[in-house]
Parts: sequence; C-alpha cells; structure tokens
Amino acid sequence: MSKGQLERNIGFLEAMTLGGGTMIGAGIFILPGIAAEGAGPASSVSFLIAGFVALLAALSLSELATGMPIAGGSYHYVNRALGGFFGSIVGWGMWTGLMFASAFYMIGFGQYLVEPIPFLDGRALVVLLGLIGLSLIVGVNYYGTEESSQLQNVMIGAETVVVLAYVVLGLFFIDPNNLEPFAPTGPSGIIATTGVVFVSFLGFEIIATVAGEVKDPSRNIPLTMILSVVLVTILYALVMIVTTGVLPYQAIGDSLVPVSDVAVVFAGAVGVVAIVAAAAIAAISSSNSSVLAAARVNFAMGRDDLMSEWLNVTHDRFGTPHRAIIATGAVTALLIAAGLQVETIVALLAEVASFSFLVSYSLVHVALVVFRRADPEDYDPSFKIPDVLYPAVPVLGVVLTIVVISQMAPIIILLGLGIVGLGVGWYFVYVRDHAIDRGLIDEVITSTTDAYRVLVPVANPDTQQNLIRLAAATAHAHTDEGTPELVAVNVLQVADPDPQQNVAAERLDHQRDLLDGAHDIAAEMDVQLRTVAMTGERVDETILEAIVDEEPDQVLLGWGGTLTRQGHVFGPNLDAVVEDAPCEVTLVMLYNDTIGNPVALAGPGPHSPAAARRAAEFASVDGAVPTLLNVQQPMGDDDTTASERGNAVIDDVVERAGLNPEDYERAVVVDDDIEAAILATADQFDTICVGLSERSAASRVMFGTIAERISQEATSNVGIVRGWNES
Amino acid sequence: MSSGHEQSSRFAENVTDKMPLTGDSTILVPVDVSITEPPDQVILDLLKPVNLVVLGYYPVPKQTAPAHLKEEHEAEAAERLESIVSRFVRGDHEVEDVLVFTKDRQDTIDRIAEQHDCDAVFVPGETDAIDRILVPLRGDVNLERIVSLVGELVRASDATVTLFHSVPEGADPSQGEFILRGAADRLTEEGVDRDQVDWQLSEGGSPKRKIIDLVADYDFVVLGEAEPSLRDRILGTVLTPILEEIEKPAIIVRDIE
Repeated sequence: MSKGQLERNIGFLEAMTLGGGTMIGAGIFILPGIAAEGAGPASSVSFLIAGFVALLAALSLSELATGMPIAGGSYHYVNRALGGFFGSIVGWGMWTGLMFASAFYMIGFGQYLVEPIPFLDGRALVVLLGLIGLSLIVGVNYYGTEESSQLQNVMIGAETVVVLAYVVLGLFFIDPNNLEPFAPTGPSGIIATTGVVFVSFLGFEIIATVAGEVKDPSRNIPLTMILSVVLVTILYALVMIVTTGVLPYQAIGDSLVPVSDVAVVFAGAVGVVAIVAAAAIAAISSSNSSVLAAARVNFAMGRDDLMSEWLNVTHDRFGTPHRAIIATGAVTALLIAAGLQVETIVALLAEVASFSFLVSYSLVHVALVVFRRADPEDYDPSFKIPDVLYPAVPVLGVVLTIVVISQMAPIIILLGLGIVGLGVGWYFVYVRDHAIDRGLIDEVITSTTDAYRVLVPVANPDTQQNLIRLAAATAHAHTDEGTPELVAVNVLQVADPDPQQNVAAERLDHQRDLLDGAHDIAAEMDVQLRTVAMTGERVDETILEAIVDEEPDQVLLGWGGTLTRQGHVFGPNLDAVVEDAPCEVTLVMLYNDTIGNPVALAGPGPHSPAAARRAAEFASVDGAVPTLLNVQQPMGDDDTTASERGNAVIDDVVERAGLNPEDYERAVVVDDDIEAAILATADQFDTICVGLSERSAASRVMFGTIAERISQEATSNVGIVRGWNES
Repeated sequence: MSSGHEQSSRFAENVTDKMPLTGDSTILVPVDVSITEPPDQVILDLLKPVNLVVLGYYPVPKQTAPAHLKEEHEAEAAERLESIVSRFVRGDHEVEDVLVFTKDRQDTIDRIAEQHDCDAVFVPGETDAIDRILVPLRGDVNLERIVSLVGELVRASDATVTLFHSVPEGADPSQGEFILRGAADRLTEEGVDRDQVDWQLSEGGSPKRKIIDLVADYDFVVLGEAEPSLRDRILGTVLTPILEEIEKPAIIVRDIE
C-alpha cells in the first residue's frame, strides 16, 4: 500500500497575506477609537510596544516552527515542551482567543456597514450584520469552498492600498495641536492600551498554525512572521499618528468607526466609501483566517489526544473539519450576540483575545528554553535566535507579557483567568486519562547522566513491543547505576528530503505510534523511555548517528534471523551498526513471547562474557537464573578432564563478565559432535545468547559457525551479542 | 527530399544522445483518489506501451489541514489508488504509484513529474475510441521528445496522427512545412506506418483558436509544454485555455531541457 505524502502549498506571498493580511485586517479600522480613548496620541507608542512584544514572540515561534514545521502553532510547541497541562491551557487559550478575535472583527464589520448610512442605526442591526457575516464565513469553511487565493491577494492588496493612502494623505492634514497633550493617561494608560491592541498582532501566529503547509518552511516561516510583525507595527503606529493628529483624540475615542470619521475630513465621501469597503473586506478576511486557524488548533489537539476525536472528524463529502468549525462558529455567534447587552463588548472581546494570546506567548518563550535545554533529536531548527539574543528574548518576552497583563482591567484578568481555568479543568477531566505525552520538561529537570542506557531502534509495530520489553529488562538489571533509560529510535527513510514536502507530520505520526506502544511497558518495568524520531537517507547511518549522540551502553536490535550472502551479513540496515557501534550490540530474534530460562554459550570467543551478562539480564525478566553452557569433546578416554576444561572456560567467562556465583548455573556437556550437542542442549532453554566470533582483518563481521547454526536452526529466542571494550 | 533527410539524421543523432536504449517514455497519470473513478479502457490501451507513474492525489480544501485529511482518509485513498494501479499494470512496463494529499493539484503534478523524471503528463477527457490523434507542433521546441513519445504510443495501434503547425501571417510557409515533413519522417523512423501520418499547415490567425477548432475532429491531443512568458504567468498559460476548452483527453509533453 502506498504511503500518503503531504504537499506544502503555501508560498511566501500566501503566508504574507495570511499573516500580514490578518494583522492589517480588521484591527486597523476598529482599534484606533479604543486606543485613542485609552492613551490619546501616545497610543501609537502602545502599538509600538505591542509590536515589540509580538516580535519577541515571533522570534521564539520562528525557531520552534522551523524545528517542528507541523500544524498547531504555539499550542503544539508548548504541549511538546511542557506537557499536556500547559498544552491544554494554550490549546484552549488559542481556540477561545481566536473566537473572541473573530467576534471582535465581526462586530466591527457591522459597525462599519451601519454607521455611514444615517437611517440605519442601533446595536441590533450591528449585531445582526455581524452574525450574517459570521454565517457566511462559517458556511465557506464548512463547505470547504476553495476561495481563489488570487482573489484573496487582490482583496488584501486593495485593503492595504486604502490604508496606505489614508496614512499618506492624512499626514498632510495633521494638526499639531491635536497631538498635545501627547500622553494624557501617562505610562500606565499606554501599557493598558497595549493590552487592548495586542489582538491585532495575532496574525503571525496564524502562520505558525499552518506551518505544516508552508513551502520551504525554514526560509518562509521566520521571514514572513518577522517581516509581517515589523511592517504592521510601523503601519499601525503611523495610522495612530494620523488618526489622532487629524481629529482630537476625544472625538475619535467616542467613535465606533474612527478611521472613516478621520477620512471624511480629508477625503470626503470617496474616502468614506473606500474605508468602509476596505474595513468590510478586512473584517471578513481576518475573521476567516481566525476560523481557519482555530480548526488547525483543534486538529492538533485531537492529534495529541488532548481533544475529542468526535470534534475532529472531517466531513465525508467536503473534507472539512465541520464539527470543529460549527463549534467555533456557535461560540463566536454567542459572543457577537452578547454585544446586544454589553455596551463595551468590542474592547472587551479584543482584550480577552489579547490576554489569551499573551499567556500563550509567554509559555512559548518557556517552551523555547525547554527545547534548547532538552535538545531532542528531531528538533533541529534552521532558524535560531542569535546567541547574543538567546536568553534575552524569551526572558524579556515573559517579563513584558506579565507587565502588559498586569495593566489590564480587573474584569479582563478575571475572564482571562477563567479561560486558563477552563484549560486546567479540561486537563483534569479529559486530558489526563487520554494523552500520553509528558513533555520534554521532565527531561530537563531529571538528569540522566550516569544511568545505564539502552538504545532500541524500532520500526515494526508488531515486534517493537517485545523488543522494548526486553530492552527494559536489560536496562532494569542496571538500576544500581541510577534509573536506567531506554531510547527508542525510529528512522524514517526519506530518499531525498524535499522542502516542498511535509516530512515533519510523518515523523510525528511515527513517534506517536512508538510512544503508544512503548509507554506502558516502560512504566510497568520502571524504566524511563524516550523516543527519538530521525529521518535519513540510510537507516544504518542514521542509527549510528543516534548512537553517537545518545552514547548508550548497549544497542538492542531486532533481527529477522536471515543471513544474506550478497555483500551483507545480517542485512543492509544492521551490518554497519553491528560493526561500528561504539557500545555493546545485541541482535535478537524473538520467536516466543516469553524470555523464560536463558542459556549463554560460554566459549573462548571475545564476546562470550558479554553474552553471559546478557543472559543474566534476560533472566531477570521472568526471575529465572541463566545457565552457562560449555561443550567439550572427550579427550581420549577420560571424561573428567574434558569437563574440568569446560568448567575452566566457564570460570574464565564468569570472571570476565563479572558475574557472582549465585547469579548463574553451569552446564558442561561432553560430546563428540560439539555443534550438535550445543544445539540439542540449547534448544531446551527458552532463550539462547551467543557471542559473535572475532572480527577478521577486513573488519567484516565474521559469523562463527556455531552462532550461525543456532541462528538458523534454533526454535528458541536467540540473542547474538557483540561486546565492547572501552579501552 | 534531401532537406528531409538532413532533418531526420539530425534527429537520429539527438536521439542516441539523450534517450535510453529502451526508448521508453514515462507518463504521469494523475487520478483524484477522493472519488472512485476507474480509468477508461481506451486510455488503458493507449498507455500500454509506456512506463507510468500513477499519481493519486487527494484534494485538501483550504479549511482543512492536509495532515488531518491524511489521518482520516489515507487507507481508503491508498486502496483506491491500488485498484486503479492494478488496472494499469502489465508485464513489460513499469507502473509506479504515488499518493499525495495536496491543496494544489498542479503543484503536486509538477513536483512528482520532476521527481520521477516523467516525460509527459496525462490529462483526462472524454472519448470512446482513440483513432485520430492531433499533434500540434510549435517549432523546434521540445519537438524531438514529442515525436518520440507519439511514436511509442502509436507504433502498436492503428490510430492516425495529424501533425499540425501554424505559421504567422506573412511568414514563409516553407519553414513550417519543413518542420512538419521532418517530424513525419521521424515518426516513420520510429516505426509508425507512413499511411498513419499526415500533416496540416495553417497560415495566419490564432494558433490557439485553430487548435481548439481542429480538436473537435480528433480523439486525442498531444501538446508540448512551453515555458510561460511573463504575460502568461499573469494571464494563464497558452495551454490552460486550450485544455479547458477541448474536453478531449490529452498528453502534455514536458519541456525538460
């Protein structure tokens, strides 16, 4: 069966219109009124501060998004770094934040349509228009109408032109008197206003939520996120200066359609029509991107088992996540309808959305630090925050977030904390029983330096269960050195990683499969398990890379048991590992589910002691005692000398393996046909451990004849062991 | 006649330079695997002589994350693709399959065609039989690849091929005749019976319009891809309007050089 690939279809321009377009969008037409009321002409400073906070978040998000370019945005990074608890706070925070923002845009949409027409008035009509606009958006999303991206580009382009014309023309009409006093509400007013206007900067987050679909993500994601934040900040600051410069800020503060009121001063009726048209387009497109991003967040939560699959089913015919879209639309509609009762609903919606995103971003900064500390194998961001800025960006980001939140109105903080509480409640009610991820934070906190570490490459879900169980047993025998650790590695073979194609999502699927199977066993055996997903063109080289990075004490590999003669011994994926791994290597063929009583062949070979140790470790699975077996040919007529010789060999192996006398039983068999005797005796045990024979001069793995016959003929489990001398 | 000979010997040189000894072309056949749509028997027969890459694409609406759709529909899509591929499989030629979840079909076709080194892309359309094939030639562009592909497809069948070329108003028509005659010779060399091949030269007028009008009398079209000009990039390529209007199945020969 062919395996589906995912195409990355969002290019630079589309990412810019998605991110920048959303930001230029609705906020610029509605917020100036609220901002002017809160901070006067200094509200442009509020926008600059908000832009700076957003830029810090964009930097951290860019690094995380290029390290894991898959759907979900902030939610996904926080969930991976900090686990399900914070994951569900951010997931719910983002979802509700997007809904609040959407409602905010749609009410603004209604206001702009209603205000210029004298005989239309009243909140009911504003709310009604908002609801109509919303149902349009929900409909489009439900039916999955593929809106032409060209049309979208044209609309966003037109809207940007209108805003630029507004700024350029307006500059000539600024009355310096209006800019006095510049900051009537002082610094705290400016900061408080920052909290309100921050909602306009959530567009760059939308780029991160669709990260899985962005072409050439390592270039386009950071470029579009940072560029859109910087450009939009400058634009917003200019719009504020023009707006508060042309009309006194008190007049603007009272207006529901501030930009249009200002435009009428210098551009007359034409200006008003242009602004109303642009505002309507902007509200629709911003709201649409929010619903789109909300569905992505829902999907990502469902993927990580943080959200019910029921909500995440896609429609049979339209292929859209219709339930998630309807749920998002329904809550947004309620929020818009609340506008009938709550007079100050617009500012309130904007501020709650800002709160949610500020909380998310501060956790994103923490997530970045955790990722840098834990440095997981599959995290290899192509965009890194420069070293000079590294601890500064996340630290400053968190501090500024707290400053901004602290200046918010008590009612907002209360509502915001309510949403956080929703996430916390959801975690305890739902997530704890469903999700298995624990987050990287555990790793950062618990140090795992000296403990025994076993690396297990897993590929086949059918056999990985037993493989991990065995590896856990082996590791468990080393608890005296600290809590042992298993590292399950999966290598996704990619012929030629194409920037157009989404490999990250596949990596994640694999890793989740592994986690699912491995987690229970690891818990049961009291071992720590970590999974590492890697991609590479060659499996053997990638596994060796993992071995070099992880520095395990042992590699445990599953093996089908077939020997090939064409250039390989164990197979193309195994040979190089068996030859070159700088640690002990065990190849296991598992025929039975039980490990039972193990036997080790104690011979003169260099790897016999390792085989004996492995047998002892395997024995601990079922609480058995390993047997060390040696077979000797009779010497002339005296069996006793033969068995003495056998015992001497076993003694030697025991000494080199460092086993205690009570740890094993011994069996010495005297027989003419050594191989037949070994096979006959070994078959009485459930598991056989054999050492590899010596390396030849050509550094090829030479497979001893006994080991070979056992691997081919035995019906028990077989472990082939290659030891390692650190000297 | 001597000019025709020169032409064909030039072709012969190029061919030995660039084509593998088997002379087998690879055609990309895109199939929408979100719906059940068994391939036409006529098309199965036509594509018999070439290697195929069957691209099963699952269109993803803008509102959906591709990974989301993949998660839910991968098995079903793979099954459909498999059943389609099984109908294409024959002993002597390779049939590869690829499954992609994409928001942009064309993007995916381009990438897969590139990755699998396909010579041409198949465009589905409606037809009952393939007896008459129209091959518009634009000039030297991509000529050799088009002709050898047509040769491979037609060699084993009874279909007739009409080569078509349009020269601009006032230009010397002999230049066009030269191209057509050379291409016809070359097809004969490829093993196509001379009786199966004829040509048509048109002077002046819009070549695009001419082709669309002509197609009505044919069952199948082989077109050469051309690098779009700046104008085409903005207004759409020449091919797009042709393909939209003809409704007949077609093959677009890629311009790889």
